[in-house]
Amino acid sequence: MPKAWVVVYSITDFITIGMLLTVVAMNSLKRMESCLRAYTINSILLAALMAVSAFYLDAAHLYIAAAVTLASKGVVIPLLLRKVVRDLKITHEVEPNINTPLSLVITSVLVVIVYSSLSKGIFIEGFTENTLKVSISIILISLFTMITRKKAVTQVIGLLLMENGLFLAGFSLTYGMSTIIELGVVFDVLMGAIILGVFLSQIKKTFIDLDLDKLTTLKG
Amino acid sequence: MNNFQFVLIALLSPLAQGIIKKIKALMQGRVGAPLLQPYYDLARLFRKDMVIPRTASWIFHAAPYVVFASVLTASMLVPVVSTGGAGLFGIGDIIAIIYTLALGRFFLALGGLDAGTAFGGEGSSREMTVAILVEPSMMLAIFTAAVASGSTNIGKVAGPGSVFFSPAHVLALAAFFVAIIAETGRIPVDNPDTHLELTMIHEGMLLEYSGKYLAMMEWAHYMKQMLLFTLAADLFFPYGISGAGFGIAAAVGFWAGKMLILCFGMAFVESTRAKMRFFQLPSLLGAAFVLSALSMITFIMTGK
Repeated sequence: MPKAWVVVYSITDFITIGMLLTVVAMNSLKRMESCLRAYTINSILLAALMAVSAFYLDAAHLYIAAAVTLASKGVVIPLLLRKVVRDLKITHEVEPNINTPLSLVITSVLVVIVYSSLSKGIFIEGFTENTLKVSISIILISLFTMITRKKAVTQVIGLLLMENGLFLAGFSLTYGMSTIIELGVVFDVLMGAIILGVFLSQIKKTFIDLDLDKLTTLKG
Repeated sequence: MNNFQFVLIALLSPLAQGIIKKIKALMQGRVGAPLLQPYYDLARLFRKDMVIPRTASWIFHAAPYVVFASVLTASMLVPVVSTGGAGLFGIGDIIAIIYTLALGRFFLALGGLDAGTAFGGEGSSREMTVAILVEPSMMLAIFTAAVASGSTNIGKVAGPGSVFFSPAHVLALAAFFVAIIAETGRIPVDNPDTHLELTMIHEGMLLEYSGKYLAMMEWAHYMKQMLLFTLAADLFFPYGISGAGFGIAAAVGFWAGKMLILCFGMAFVESTRAKMRFFQLPSLLGAAFVLSALSMITFIMTGK
């Protein structure tokens, strides 16, 4: 079989582990530009995974989904967020609630918990057998990122990474839904990113700072 | 033949240092010292007289010999181009190699302390701190390769039939590379080109050494660097090593190629990164530890 190299060289494992790495790296990155780059790489890898699956499964509609993912999550949303970050003049994250080494340790513990609890019970055959574990790790780690980070922009990036993880989970279970649903999901995310961008500007305009911890000190 | 592979490491390690320096110089737009400069330096240092501090005890005199001997012993255990005998007398155990190197490091730090200067003590203290931080990620990365091949004998890990192209191995290689940077005192961790009091680690310990002793210490340092490169090649990308279907000539070629790639990577990292503050090092080495932990988990998950 000419397509055996996808399985032999465990291409899907490489791509999904790469996605996991970018999400873990988010926890140690301080510069906003680097965080955005991590998200961009994550999205590009997601699109690459879909393209490889399309190639492996001979499913033409997955090529369309991959292209749409690449265009929206890999290009449009990062550019949009970069514009927001530049306009609001945020360059660095303040010190997160949990310091970097400890949060890195917690992320690896999260991955261990996910792997050990999913290792029995759920069996997925085929070339995406490990994808579900990785995707659930991604979801939990980005949730953790959203909890520990203080700036609203990093929390938005965490939310978007979480969405990538959910997308990956759905993809690994269904091998892609019909094109209409995929398009709808992508459109939703795009709208969400635009709305969050406007929202960030409004927070900045009203409260001067994007540090969400400071919002709790407001008294009515 | 198999028992004399370490000669390659011993003789070519100053050249590797020269190559790294040359690539760095070219990247920074300088001409740089000639490729063989480390050899000239060593030859001159061996001819020079020594200045011994008045406070020095026998440890100061013993340290260069112990450091040099420990690195030489460790490189005897590593299959450089052939896994035939799996290192000298078939010992070749990775854990033995790493802790033989640790013996050398212990005496290096003692030698720095024994001279009785403030900078020596400072360097030793920092060296041991970095050592504590590096060791977990290094060992875990090594254990990934060891578990994957079912043996801690490096001859088996690098030998025929071992798996080496998998996500786990790539992650472990990345963690091991960061560990090499820290172990050899390169830029995000230590700056090898300066004697600035506030930053030096390795140079601080060698400050009171001169002449023959300094030459032995420096040579041991070059050898350790090349030994770690060879270990990385053996553990994570053993393709092309003799004993797995390649002749000796081809194996030497593959080995030289891998060494060149690693030298280039090291020079690239050094030219593009800035030195980190010492108290930020736990973040970098913590990240390396997480990488190696992830590689172990990935190996357990994917089963290859």
